[in-house]
Amino acid sequence: MQATILLAAGEITVQANRLLPSLGWLTNSFVFTVIVTILIVIGARAATRRMDLVPTGAQNFIEALVETLYATFENIVGRHMIAKVFPVIATLFIFICAANWIGLVPGVGSIGWGKPGPGLWSLTEIDRPLLRPSDADLNMTLGMAVMFMILWLFWTLRDVGLLGFLKENFAPKGGVEGWLGPFLVVIFLFVGCIEILSILLRPVSLSLRLFGNIFAGETLLHTMTTLGLALPAPLGWIASVLFPLPFFFLELLVGVLQALVFSALCGVYIRLSTHAETGGAGH
Amino acid sequence: MDAASNVAEQFGVYWPNLIAQIILFFIVYWVLSKFAFKPIMAMLEERRRRIEEGQINAEKIKQQLAEAQTKYEETLARANAEAQRLIEEVKASGEKLAGEKRQAALAEAQEIIRRTQESLSLERERTMAELKKEVGRLVAETTEKVTQKILTPQDHQKINEETARQIAA
Repeated sequence: MQATILLAAGEITVQANRLLPSLGWLTNSFVFTVIVTILIVIGARAATRRMDLVPTGAQNFIEALVETLYATFENIVGRHMIAKVFPVIATLFIFICAANWIGLVPGVGSIGWGKPGPGLWSLTEIDRPLLRPSDADLNMTLGMAVMFMILWLFWTLRDVGLLGFLKENFAPKGGVEGWLGPFLVVIFLFVGCIEILSILLRPVSLSLRLFGNIFAGETLLHTMTTLGLALPAPLGWIASVLFPLPFFFLELLVGVLQALVFSALCGVYIRLSTHAETGGAGH
Repeated sequence: MDAASNVAEQFGVYWPNLIAQIILFFIVYWVLSKFAFKPIMAMLEERRRRIEEGQINAEKIKQQLAEAQTKYEETLARANAEAQRLIEEVKASGEKLAGEKRQAALAEAQEIIRRTQESLSLERERTMAELKKEVGRLVAETTEKVTQKILTPQDHQKINEETARQIAA
Protein backbone atom coordinates (compact mmCIF):
# COMPACT_ATOMS: atom_id res chain seq x y z
CA MET A 1 0.00 0.00 0.00
CA GLN A 2 1.54 3.27 -1.07
CA ALA A 3 0.27 6.86 -0.84
CA THR A 4 1.15 8.66 -4.03
CA ILE A 5 0.28 11.63 -6.17
CA LEU A 6 -1.94 10.75 -9.08
CA LEU A 7 -0.77 11.48 -12.59
CA ALA A 8 -3.07 9.23 -14.55
CA ALA A 9 -6.14 7.69 -13.04
CA GLY A 10 -8.89 5.28 -13.81
CA GLU A 11 -12.57 5.89 -13.27
CA ILE A 12 -14.02 7.33 -10.08
CA THR A 13 -16.05 4.74 -8.22
CA VAL A 14 -19.63 5.46 -7.18
CA GLN A 15 -18.86 4.18 -3.70
CA ALA A 16 -16.61 5.85 -1.17
CA ASN A 17 -13.47 3.81 -0.53
CA ARG A 18 -12.70 2.17 2.77
CA LEU A 19 -9.33 3.21 4.07
CA LEU A 20 -9.04 0.42 6.63
CA PRO A 21 -10.76 -2.90 5.92
CA SER A 22 -11.37 -3.48 9.62
CA LEU A 23 -13.21 -0.15 10.03
CA GLY A 24 -16.00 -0.12 7.50
CA TRP A 25 -17.13 3.38 8.37
CA LEU A 26 -13.66 4.89 7.93
CA THR A 27 -13.97 5.90 4.29
CA ASN A 28 -12.15 8.57 2.31
CA SER A 29 -15.33 10.69 2.30
CA PHE A 30 -15.52 10.35 6.10
CA VAL A 31 -11.96 11.62 6.41
CA PHE A 32 -12.84 14.49 4.10
CA THR A 33 -15.96 15.26 6.17
CA VAL A 34 -13.81 15.31 9.31
CA ILE A 35 -11.49 17.83 7.64
CA VAL A 36 -14.44 19.99 6.53
CA THR A 37 -15.92 19.78 10.03
CA ILE A 38 -12.63 20.84 11.61
CA LEU A 39 -12.28 23.75 9.16
CA ILE A 40 -15.84 24.91 9.82
CA VAL A 41 -15.31 24.64 13.59
CA ILE A 42 -12.06 26.63 13.37
CA GLY A 43 -13.65 29.21 11.08
CA ALA A 44 -16.73 29.65 13.26
CA ARG A 45 -14.67 29.95 16.45
CA ALA A 46 -12.20 32.35 14.88
CA ALA A 47 -14.98 34.56 13.55
CA THR A 48 -17.01 34.69 16.76
CA ARG A 49 -14.37 34.49 19.50
CA ARG A 50 -14.19 38.22 20.09
CA MET A 51 -17.42 39.66 18.87
CA ASP A 52 -17.75 43.38 18.63
CA LEU A 53 -20.72 45.63 18.00
CA VAL A 54 -18.84 47.08 15.05
CA PRO A 55 -17.83 43.96 13.11
CA THR A 56 -14.57 43.63 11.22
CA GLY A 57 -12.83 40.92 9.20
CA ALA A 58 -14.07 37.36 9.75
CA GLN A 59 -16.88 38.47 12.08
CA ASN A 60 -18.11 40.82 9.40
CA PHE A 61 -18.09 38.04 6.82
CA ILE A 62 -19.89 35.46 8.98
CA GLU A 63 -22.45 38.04 10.16
CA ALA A 64 -23.19 39.02 6.58
CA LEU A 65 -23.50 35.35 5.66
CA VAL A 66 -25.82 34.51 8.55
CA GLU A 67 -27.91 37.63 8.02
CA THR A 68 -28.28 36.93 4.29
CA LEU A 69 -29.16 33.29 4.91
CA TYR A 70 -31.67 34.27 7.59
CA ALA A 71 -33.41 36.75 5.31
CA THR A 72 -33.40 34.28 2.39
CA PHE A 73 -34.76 31.35 4.38
CA GLU A 74 -37.25 33.55 6.22
CA ASN A 75 -38.79 34.34 2.85
CA ILE A 76 -39.03 30.63 2.07
CA VAL A 77 -40.00 29.17 5.45
CA GLY A 78 -41.99 32.10 6.75
CA ARG A 79 -41.61 34.12 9.93
CA HIS A 80 -43.60 31.61 11.91
CA MET A 81 -41.02 28.81 11.78
CA ILE A 82 -37.74 30.47 10.84
CA ALA A 83 -36.36 30.86 14.37
CA LYS A 84 -36.80 27.12 15.04
CA VAL A 85 -35.52 25.76 11.76
CA PHE A 86 -32.87 28.30 10.80
CA PRO A 87 -29.89 26.61 12.54
CA VAL A 88 -30.55 23.31 10.74
CA ILE A 89 -31.19 24.79 7.30
CA ALA A 90 -28.28 27.22 7.56
CA THR A 91 -25.98 24.41 8.73
CA LEU A 92 -27.09 22.35 5.73
CA PHE A 93 -26.27 25.21 3.39
CA ILE A 94 -22.92 26.09 4.96
CA PHE A 95 -21.82 22.49 5.28
CA ILE A 96 -22.80 21.48 1.75
CA CYS A 97 -21.28 24.61 0.22
CA ALA A 98 -18.05 24.27 2.23
CA ALA A 99 -17.77 20.56 1.40
CA ASN A 100 -18.36 21.20 -2.31
CA TRP A 101 -15.83 24.00 -2.52
CA ILE A 102 -13.18 22.31 -0.40
CA GLY A 103 -13.68 19.27 -2.63
CA LEU A 104 -12.34 21.34 -5.51
CA VAL A 105 -8.97 21.86 -3.82
CA PRO A 106 -6.30 20.02 -5.82
CA GLY A 107 -5.37 16.80 -4.06
CA VAL A 108 -8.90 15.81 -3.16
CA GLY A 109 -9.48 12.67 -5.17
CA SER A 110 -6.05 12.78 -6.74
CA ILE A 111 -3.89 11.66 -3.82
CA GLY A 112 -4.22 8.08 -2.67
CA TRP A 113 -3.30 4.48 -3.37
CA GLY A 114 -3.11 2.70 -6.73
CA LYS A 115 -0.86 1.27 -9.41
CA PRO A 116 2.59 2.88 -9.27
CA GLY A 117 3.59 4.96 -12.29
CA PRO A 118 6.92 5.72 -13.89
CA GLY A 119 7.81 8.87 -11.90
CA LEU A 120 8.46 9.44 -8.21
CA TRP A 121 5.24 9.10 -6.13
CA SER A 122 3.18 8.81 -9.29
CA LEU A 123 0.31 6.49 -10.16
CA THR A 124 -0.98 5.28 -13.46
CA GLU A 125 -4.31 4.50 -11.84
CA ILE A 126 -5.73 5.44 -8.48
CA ASP A 127 -7.73 2.77 -6.69
CA ARG A 128 -8.40 4.44 -3.37
CA PRO A 129 -8.14 8.22 -3.13
CA LEU A 130 -7.26 9.50 0.34
CA LEU A 131 -10.00 12.11 0.19
CA ARG A 132 -13.34 12.15 -1.55
CA PRO A 133 -15.81 15.06 -1.45
CA SER A 134 -18.49 14.42 1.18
CA ASP A 135 -21.37 15.04 -1.19
CA ALA A 136 -19.93 12.60 -3.71
CA ASP A 137 -20.79 9.91 -1.15
CA LEU A 138 -24.45 8.93 -0.97
CA ASN A 139 -24.03 8.12 2.74
CA MET A 140 -23.49 11.80 3.46
CA THR A 141 -26.27 13.21 1.31
CA LEU A 142 -28.74 10.51 2.38
CA GLY A 143 -27.72 11.02 6.01
CA MET A 144 -28.47 14.72 5.79
CA ALA A 145 -31.74 14.16 3.93
CA VAL A 146 -33.00 11.48 6.35
CA MET A 147 -31.98 13.54 9.35
CA PHE A 148 -33.76 16.57 7.93
CA MET A 149 -36.95 14.59 7.19
CA ILE A 150 -37.03 13.28 10.78
CA LEU A 151 -36.72 16.87 12.02
CA TRP A 152 -39.31 17.95 9.44
CA LEU A 153 -41.78 15.39 10.81
CA PHE A 154 -41.08 16.56 14.36
CA TRP A 155 -41.60 20.25 13.51
CA THR A 156 -44.69 19.51 11.45
CA LEU A 157 -46.38 17.38 14.11
CA ARG A 158 -45.47 19.92 16.76
CA ASP A 159 -46.90 22.77 14.72
CA VAL A 160 -50.08 21.30 13.25
CA GLY A 161 -50.48 18.09 15.28
CA LEU A 162 -51.05 14.56 13.97
CA LEU A 163 -54.69 15.26 13.17
CA GLY A 164 -53.81 18.46 11.36
CA PHE A 165 -51.13 16.65 9.36
CA LEU A 166 -53.53 13.86 8.34
CA LYS A 167 -56.29 16.34 7.61
CA GLU A 168 -53.97 18.40 5.46
CA ASN A 169 -53.02 15.39 3.37
CA PHE A 170 -56.23 13.34 3.25
CA ALA A 171 -59.18 15.64 3.96
CA PRO A 172 -61.06 17.01 0.93
CA LYS A 173 -60.37 20.67 0.38
CA GLY A 174 -63.48 22.84 0.42
CA GLY A 175 -65.74 20.33 2.23
CA VAL A 176 -67.69 17.23 1.08
CA GLU A 177 -71.17 18.65 0.51
CA GLY A 178 -73.49 17.32 -2.17
CA TRP A 179 -73.64 14.01 -3.99
CA LEU A 180 -70.00 14.42 -5.09
CA GLY A 181 -68.89 14.20 -1.45
CA PRO A 182 -68.21 10.43 -1.25
CA PHE A 183 -66.31 10.53 -4.52
CA LEU A 184 -64.24 13.44 -3.30
CA VAL A 185 -63.39 11.54 -0.12
CA VAL A 186 -62.10 8.60 -2.13
CA ILE A 187 -60.18 10.86 -4.50
CA PHE A 188 -58.58 12.83 -1.67
CA LEU A 189 -57.67 9.62 0.14
CA PHE A 190 -55.91 8.50 -2.99
CA VAL A 191 -54.23 11.91 -3.40
CA GLY A 192 -53.20 11.72 0.27
CA CYS A 193 -51.56 8.35 -0.33
CA ILE A 194 -49.63 9.83 -3.25
CA GLU A 195 -48.67 12.78 -1.06
CA ILE A 196 -47.38 10.47 1.66
CA LEU A 197 -45.44 8.53 -0.94
CA SER A 198 -43.91 11.75 -2.25
CA ILE A 199 -42.98 12.70 1.32
CA LEU A 200 -41.33 9.32 1.81
CA LEU A 201 -39.41 9.82 -1.42
CA ARG A 202 -38.18 13.28 -0.48
CA PRO A 203 -34.99 12.02 1.22
CA VAL A 204 -34.23 9.98 -1.88
CA SER A 205 -34.76 12.88 -4.27
CA LEU A 206 -32.87 15.32 -2.03
CA SER A 207 -29.91 13.01 -1.54
CA LEU A 208 -29.67 11.70 -5.11
CA ARG A 209 -29.88 15.20 -6.61
CA LEU A 210 -26.98 16.46 -4.53
CA PHE A 211 -24.96 13.28 -4.87
CA GLY A 212 -25.55 13.12 -8.63
CA ASN A 213 -24.49 16.69 -9.25
CA ILE A 214 -21.36 16.56 -7.15
CA PHE A 215 -20.33 13.10 -8.33
CA ALA A 216 -20.88 14.19 -11.94
CA GLY A 217 -18.77 17.28 -11.29
CA GLU A 218 -15.98 15.18 -9.83
CA THR A 219 -16.12 12.84 -12.80
CA LEU A 220 -16.10 15.78 -15.20
CA LEU A 221 -13.07 17.37 -13.54
CA HIS A 222 -11.32 14.02 -13.41
CA THR A 223 -11.98 13.41 -17.09
CA MET A 224 -10.81 16.89 -18.08
CA THR A 225 -7.67 16.53 -15.99
CA THR A 226 -6.71 13.21 -17.55
CA LEU A 227 -7.87 14.10 -21.06
CA GLY A 228 -4.61 15.60 -22.25
CA LEU A 229 -2.29 13.21 -20.46
CA ALA A 230 -1.93 11.10 -23.59
CA LEU A 231 -0.11 14.04 -25.21
CA PRO A 232 3.70 14.30 -25.05
CA ALA A 233 5.21 15.39 -21.74
CA PRO A 234 5.06 19.19 -21.52
CA LEU A 235 1.85 19.48 -23.56
CA GLY A 236 0.13 16.84 -21.47
CA TRP A 237 0.99 18.64 -18.24
CA ILE A 238 -0.23 21.96 -19.61
CA ALA A 239 -3.40 20.34 -20.92
CA SER A 240 -4.06 18.70 -17.54
CA VAL A 241 -4.10 22.21 -16.03
CA LEU A 242 -5.85 24.15 -18.80
CA PHE A 243 -8.58 21.68 -19.75
CA PRO A 244 -10.27 21.41 -16.36
CA LEU A 245 -9.82 25.10 -15.49
CA PRO A 246 -13.17 26.40 -16.87
CA PHE A 247 -14.93 23.48 -15.23
CA PHE A 248 -13.48 24.40 -11.85
CA PHE A 249 -15.36 27.72 -12.12
CA LEU A 250 -18.47 25.84 -13.20
CA GLU A 251 -18.12 23.53 -10.19
CA LEU A 252 -17.72 26.53 -7.88
CA LEU A 253 -21.10 27.71 -9.11
CA VAL A 254 -22.61 24.22 -8.93
CA GLY A 255 -21.29 23.85 -5.38
CA VAL A 256 -23.13 26.89 -4.05
CA LEU A 257 -26.20 26.28 -6.22
CA GLN A 258 -26.62 22.72 -5.00
CA ALA A 259 -26.22 23.88 -1.39
CA LEU A 260 -28.90 26.47 -2.01
CA VAL A 261 -31.21 24.00 -3.77
CA PHE A 262 -30.91 21.44 -0.97
CA SER A 263 -31.49 23.92 1.85
CA ALA A 264 -34.18 25.87 -0.01
CA LEU A 265 -36.11 22.67 -0.74
CA CYS A 266 -35.90 21.80 2.96
CA GLY A 267 -37.35 25.25 3.68
CA VAL A 268 -40.12 24.73 1.15
CA TYR A 269 -41.05 21.36 2.71
CA ILE A 270 -41.32 23.03 6.10
CA ARG A 271 -43.44 25.85 4.76
CA LEU A 272 -45.80 23.46 3.00
CA SER A 273 -46.50 21.45 6.10
CA THR A 274 -46.65 24.10 8.80
CA HIS A 275 -48.90 27.05 9.44
CA ALA A 276 -48.00 29.97 7.25
CA GLU A 277 -48.54 33.60 8.34
CA THR A 278 -51.84 33.61 6.52
CA GLY A 279 -53.04 30.82 8.85
CA GLY A 280 -53.28 27.13 8.12
CA ALA A 281 -50.95 24.91 6.19
CA GLY A 282 -50.99 25.55 2.50
CA HIS A 283 -49.81 23.85 -0.64
CA MET B 1 -36.66 -4.59 -0.28
CA ASP B 2 -33.98 -6.64 -1.95
CA ALA B 3 -33.88 -4.14 -4.81
CA ALA B 4 -33.38 -1.30 -2.36
CA SER B 5 -30.61 -3.27 -0.65
CA ASN B 6 -28.95 -3.89 -3.99
CA VAL B 7 -29.14 -0.19 -4.92
CA ALA B 8 -27.78 0.79 -1.52
CA GLU B 9 -24.97 -1.70 -1.93
CA GLN B 10 -24.17 -0.43 -5.40
CA PHE B 11 -23.91 3.14 -4.06
CA GLY B 12 -21.97 2.00 -1.01
CA VAL B 13 -24.67 2.98 1.46
CA TYR B 14 -24.12 1.14 4.73
CA TRP B 15 -25.51 1.88 8.18
CA PRO B 16 -22.12 2.48 9.86
CA ASN B 17 -21.07 4.92 7.13
CA LEU B 18 -24.46 6.64 7.18
CA ILE B 19 -24.45 7.01 10.98
CA ALA B 20 -20.83 8.19 10.99
CA GLN B 21 -21.63 10.92 8.46
CA ILE B 22 -24.78 11.94 10.38
CA ILE B 23 -22.75 12.21 13.59
CA LEU B 24 -20.23 14.44 11.83
CA PHE B 25 -23.03 16.60 10.48
CA PHE B 26 -24.52 16.88 13.96
CA ILE B 27 -21.15 18.03 15.27
CA VAL B 28 -21.08 20.74 12.61
CA TYR B 29 -24.67 21.66 13.49
CA TRP B 30 -23.90 21.83 17.21
CA VAL B 31 -20.75 23.89 16.71
CA LEU B 32 -22.39 26.31 14.31
CA SER B 33 -25.49 26.66 16.51
CA LYS B 34 -23.47 27.26 19.66
CA PHE B 35 -20.56 29.28 18.35
CA ALA B 36 -21.94 30.96 15.26
CA PHE B 37 -25.70 31.28 14.94
CA LYS B 38 -26.53 31.93 18.58
CA PRO B 39 -23.92 34.66 19.24
CA ILE B 40 -24.40 36.19 15.80
CA MET B 41 -28.18 36.31 16.11
CA ALA B 42 -27.77 37.78 19.60
CA MET B 43 -25.34 40.35 18.21
CA LEU B 44 -27.66 41.20 15.32
CA GLU B 45 -30.55 41.52 17.77
CA GLU B 46 -28.44 43.74 20.04
CA ARG B 47 -27.44 45.88 17.07
CA ARG B 48 -31.03 46.09 15.88
CA ARG B 49 -32.12 47.09 19.41
CA ARG B 50 -29.44 49.78 19.58
CA ILE B 51 -30.36 51.11 16.17
CA GLU B 52 -34.00 51.17 17.24
CA GLU B 53 -33.00 52.97 20.45
CA GLY B 54 -30.91 55.38 18.41
CA GLN B 55 -33.87 56.06 16.15
CA ILE B 56 -36.15 56.60 19.12
CA ASN B 57 -33.57 58.91 20.68
CA ALA B 58 -33.15 60.75 17.40
CA GLU B 59 -36.92 61.12 17.24
CA LYS B 60 -36.95 62.41 20.82
CA ILE B 61 -34.15 64.84 20.07
CA LYS B 62 -36.00 65.99 16.97
CA GLN B 63 -39.13 66.50 19.03
CA GLN B 64 -37.18 68.33 21.74
CA LEU B 65 -35.55 70.45 19.06
CA ALA B 66 -38.95 71.28 17.61
CA GLU B 67 -40.25 72.13 21.09
CA ALA B 68 -37.17 74.26 21.76
CA GLN B 69 -37.69 75.98 18.42
CA THR B 70 -41.32 76.65 19.27
CA LYS B 71 -40.33 77.96 22.71
CA TYR B 72 -37.63 80.09 21.13
CA GLU B 73 -40.11 81.51 18.64
CA GLU B 74 -42.65 82.12 21.41
CA THR B 75 -40.02 83.82 23.56
CA LEU B 76 -38.87 85.83 20.58
CA ALA B 77 -42.44 86.84 19.82
CA ARG B 78 -42.99 87.77 23.47
CA ALA B 79 -39.74 89.74 23.51
CA ASN B 80 -40.75 91.47 20.29
CA ALA B 81 -44.15 92.35 21.73
CA GLU B 82 -42.55 93.58 24.96
CA ALA B 83 -40.03 95.60 23.01
CA GLN B 84 -42.81 97.03 20.86
CA ARG B 85 -44.79 97.89 23.97
CA LEU B 86 -41.75 99.56 25.54
CA ILE B 87 -41.11 101.50 22.36
CA GLU B 88 -44.75 102.61 22.34
CA GLU B 89 -44.48 103.56 25.98
CA VAL B 90 -41.27 105.44 25.40
CA LYS B 91 -42.76 107.12 22.39
CA ALA B 92 -45.86 108.09 24.34
CA SER B 93 -43.77 109.21 27.26
CA GLY B 94 -41.55 111.21 24.91
CA GLU B 95 -44.53 112.84 23.30
CA LYS B 96 -46.00 113.67 26.69
CA LEU B 97 -42.71 115.08 27.86
CA ALA B 98 -42.30 117.05 24.66
CA GLY B 99 -45.83 118.39 25.12
CA GLU B 100 -45.09 119.34 28.67
CA LYS B 101 -41.86 121.00 27.62
CA ARG B 102 -43.63 122.77 24.85
CA GLN B 103 -46.35 123.93 27.24
CA ALA B 104 -43.72 125.06 29.68
CA ALA B 105 -41.83 126.84 26.95
CA LEU B 106 -45.04 128.48 25.76
CA ALA B 107 -45.92 129.51 29.28
CA GLU B 108 -42.43 130.85 29.78
CA ALA B 109 -42.57 132.67 26.49
CA GLN B 110 -45.94 134.17 27.43
CA GLU B 111 -44.58 135.12 30.80
CA ILE B 112 -41.59 136.81 29.13
CA ILE B 113 -43.96 138.59 26.76
CA ARG B 114 -46.17 139.63 29.64
CA ARG B 115 -43.24 140.88 31.65
CA THR B 116 -41.85 142.69 28.63
CA GLN B 117 -45.22 144.28 28.00
CA GLU B 118 -45.46 145.28 31.64
CA SER B 119 -41.99 146.64 31.54
CA LEU B 120 -42.71 148.45 28.32
CA SER B 121 -45.93 149.80 29.75
CA LEU B 122 -44.20 151.02 32.88
CA GLU B 123 -41.41 152.51 30.79
CA ARG B 124 -43.95 154.18 28.60
CA GLU B 125 -45.84 155.53 31.56
CA ARG B 126 -42.66 156.68 33.12
CA THR B 127 -41.54 158.27 29.84
CA MET B 128 -44.95 159.82 29.38
CA ALA B 129 -44.86 161.23 32.89
CA GLU B 130 -41.41 162.64 32.34
CA LEU B 131 -42.48 163.93 28.97
CA LYS B 132 -45.56 165.57 30.46
CA LYS B 133 -43.49 167.01 33.20
CA GLU B 134 -40.82 168.23 30.81
CA VAL B 135 -43.37 169.59 28.31
CA GLY B 136 -45.26 171.25 31.12
CA ARG B 137 -42.05 172.80 32.38
CA LEU B 138 -41.18 173.98 28.90
CA VAL B 139 -44.68 175.33 28.32
CA ALA B 140 -44.51 177.13 31.65
CA GLU B 141 -41.02 178.56 30.90
CA THR B 142 -42.20 179.58 27.46
CA THR B 143 -45.32 181.12 28.88
CA GLU B 144 -43.26 183.03 31.49
CA LYS B 145 -40.91 184.31 28.80
CA VAL B 146 -43.77 185.29 26.50
CA THR B 147 -45.91 186.93 29.12
CA GLN B 148 -43.01 188.38 31.23
CA LYS B 149 -44.96 187.23 34.16
CA ILE B 150 -43.96 185.00 36.98
CA LEU B 151 -46.31 182.06 37.14
CA THR B 152 -47.64 180.87 40.39
CA PRO B 153 -47.56 177.24 41.44
CA GLN B 154 -51.29 177.15 40.61
CA ASP B 155 -50.50 178.37 37.10
CA HIS B 156 -47.79 175.76 36.79
CA GLN B 157 -50.23 173.17 38.05
CA LYS B 158 -52.85 174.27 35.57
CA ILE B 159 -50.41 174.41 32.60
CA ASN B 160 -49.03 170.99 33.43
CA GLU B 161 -52.49 169.48 33.66
CA GLU B 162 -53.54 171.15 30.39
CA THR B 163 -50.33 169.94 28.64
CA ALA B 164 -50.70 166.44 29.99
CA ARG B 165 -54.30 166.36 28.86
CA GLN B 166 -53.37 167.51 25.37
CA ILE B 167 -50.42 165.02 25.15
CA ALA B 168 -52.66 162.25 26.29
CA ALA B 169 -55.18 163.25 23.64
